[in-house]
Amino acid sequence: MNLAYIASPGDRILVTGSNGFIGAKVVEILLEYGFSKLHCFVRPSSQLGRLEKALDQFDAGENVELIIGDLLSRDDCEKATEGVSIIYHLAAGFDKSFAGAFMNSALATRNLLDAFLKFGKPKRFVNISSFAVYSNLRLKRGALLDETCPLEEEPQERFDAYGFGKLKQEELVREYGRNNGLPHVIVRPGAVFGAGKRELSGRIGVDTFGIFIHLGRNNILPLTFVDNCAEAIVLAGLKPGVDGETFNVVDNELLTSRQFLEAYRKAAKGFRSISIPYPLAYGICLLWEKYSKWSKGQLPPAFNRRRCAAEWKGNRYSNRNLHEKLGWEPRVPMAQAMASYLSQFGTNGTV
Amino acid sequence: MLRVAIIGCGKVADQHVNAIRRITDCRIVALCDRELLMARQLGDRFQISSCFSEVDEMLKVAKPDAVHITTPPQSHFSLASQCLRAGSHVYLEKPFAITAEDAQALIDFADKCGLKMTVGHNYQFTLEMLEMRRLARKGFLGGKPVHLESYWSYDLGDTSYVGPVLGNPAHWVRQLPGQLFHNIISHGIAKLAEFLDDELTEVVAKAHQSQELGGLGAQEVLDELRVLIRDKSGTTAFFCFSTQIKGRNQLHIYGPAGTLSADIITGSLIRNQTRSFKSYLTYFVPPLNNALEHLRNLRLNVADFIRRRLYQDFGMKELIERFYNSIRLGGPPPIPYREIILTAQIMDEIFTQIYGDRASKPLTPMRPEPAVATGE
Ligand SMILES: NC(=O)c1ccc[n+]([C@@H]2O[C@H](COP(=O)([O-])OP(=O)(O)OC[C@H]3O[C@@H](n4cnc5c(N)ncnc54)[C@H](OP(=O)(O)O)[C@@H]3O)[C@@H](O)[C@H]2O)c1
Repeated sequence: MNLAYIASPGDRILVTGSNGFIGAKVVEILLEYGFSKLHCFVRPSSQLGRLEKALDQFDAGENVELIIGDLLSRDDCEKATEGVSIIYHLAAGFDKSFAGAFMNSALATRNLLDAFLKFGKPKRFVNISSFAVYSNLRLKRGALLDETCPLEEEPQERFDAYGFGKLKQEELVREYGRNNGLPHVIVRPGAVFGAGKRELSGRIGVDTFGIFIHLGRNNILPLTFVDNCAEAIVLAGLKPGVDGETFNVVDNELLTSRQFLEAYRKAAKGFRSISIPYPLAYGICLLWEKYSKWSKGQLPPAFNRRRCAAEWKGNRYSNRNLHEKLGWEPRVPMAQAMASYLSQFGTNGTV
Repeated sequence: MLRVAIIGCGKVADQHVNAIRRITDCRIVALCDRELLMARQLGDRFQISSCFSEVDEMLKVAKPDAVHITTPPQSHFSLASQCLRAGSHVYLEKPFAITAEDAQALIDFADKCGLKMTVGHNYQFTLEMLEMRRLARKGFLGGKPVHLESYWSYDLGDTSYVGPVLGNPAHWVRQLPGQLFHNIISHGIAKLAEFLDDELTEVVAKAHQSQELGGLGAQEVLDELRVLIRDKSGTTAFFCFSTQIKGRNQLHIYGPAGTLSADIITGSLIRNQTRSFKSYLTYFVPPLNNALEHLRNLRLNVADFIRRRLYQDFGMKELIERFYNSIRLGGPPPIPYREIILTAQIMDEIFTQIYGDRASKPLTPMRPEPAVATGE
């Protein structure tokens, strides 16, 4: 056993959302680290391309056990957690409805936590959260947003079903930590990018109105390349002495929204955008929010002050915790990460 | 003040809460879901503190006047019976019941209890459908409809819903006798049922699987349905459900003297009086009339937007409000029971024709016999 880790290769590890954009990379890096007693949880409807690609790279990939089920089923959670020591919980609800997002994020997590305590040999539960749980409403533009930043108190007002699900999921994990002594770590990745995910982060802008509106402008983006992010997640599950900690994940060299969009524009030819400064965006969001309230939801409050601040106000970010407590270093530098991301748009620039 | 409870706190319950909050003189007093966490997440967001996981307890403690049931259809019969037995009026989400026999039994039971029921056919109460009904009653069609057409499209693009359904044969949608159709088509069929006689002489249903759905990996799930119906007095109807025709939720009614076309997606109603024009005027006047009709719809929609009436759930709010009024004032429920039963009968027949035996034997064990209410 590597003394630097809390688990040995003989320990059984469960990865949920293992066929997802980040989950498949987590599996790949675990295999690379020599952990092959993996349970990879996938839903029956999953098209397994990503995961198969990850497994095919390693001989030990053959030992990996696919657990087919749904985390909403307690029986499936039991099957998945049997004898498991570490859980990397990446599955999440991306549904647009609050109930749907809550179900696949929070309810699924509750089932998993119960099963882990009952049928597993818990060493650590790694809960993958998100920057969406933060509220920077009271932070100044350009202020540092780190793990101590307040969490969103009004996800309903922010009209963010995904963020609501992730907040409730975190609450549950902390509650199980407090009440059941469950060792856990919370990882909050920033904007994860890489080949396999073409969409631009909402922090750059929106294309709701037929043309892309660039709102991020000179803001620094909390970027993390998928391989780097996955390695941070893996380390959060293995390093000793970090139980109860929370880690924001961003890379070392961060780009501004304008820099990212310029690179994207070159690769995705024919892409057009207009740019709106933050005060104007804020004013529009304020009016939208007020009109939505006054009209009793004739327009849903899709644009509102809370969302505007969270996505486009602009902050600085730190990965000090990652470096100091997990000994993490980004394995892929930004230039290489961008090249990998942009390569998916083809040489002719078609998106 | 009408005391309301909701059983089933999934996606559609949010819509119900929003619609109920637009109605005066009523209050949501309890939320209930087998998963207490689901009830609580809804309660947290709408400041409703009374949350339950047991229906019996909720009915006993909260004593609601009316209960909205927004659970999967397999549970409708037993939950509705339970609520009726406890003395509550019931709003059941669509489909009302798994079979017409169950629908009839529930309605008989409600009558016996002196309580009211309705079904979540909210698209019957959108602004253009209300206007269509008003015109039809006023005689715009010039008599009983000769022919009806109802189109209902459903976009598979949102795979967050169909993905889990297709991938999992045990999913509750897959357990319905009519599978995917069963959960969706009642909106479009109910539009026809409103204008058809109770006695049908013919129903011919054909269904197949689209290439797109096949590509998503489901084997026996069908998603393209065409139905021809004829009633005893000779009115014919055509129903089309499609995942491949995008954005078309329409009802066309052809009468001897006029035609009405309601488009639920664009919120418009096109009126067309059957008239012939001399010579070349045929080419000029009707297109001009049509253009004016569309302009009229634009004007009405803008006016409704300014008056804050063009919100998404207008139909649901209208249906709920009418249901509550029928409870308070003792009038008939907003959707006649005959329509609920006829809709269920047409659906039964469709599923038997396209799925054969599978549809005539529902897969999930259902319904304990309802017992007469003892409470009220
Ligand atoms: N991508 C980002 O920029 C970002 C940023 C911050 C945080 N995160 C977090 O990182 C994690 C992974 O994100 P991702 O981008 O990799 O998302 P993804 O590609 O959509 O993966 C999510 C996975 O969750 C699975 N899932 C959802 N509901 C489930 C259920 N009820 N039972 C079992 N599996 C279920 C999905 O399975 P199917 O394949 O069957 O749909 C999918 O594979 C999430 O927790 C997310 O909140 C992501």
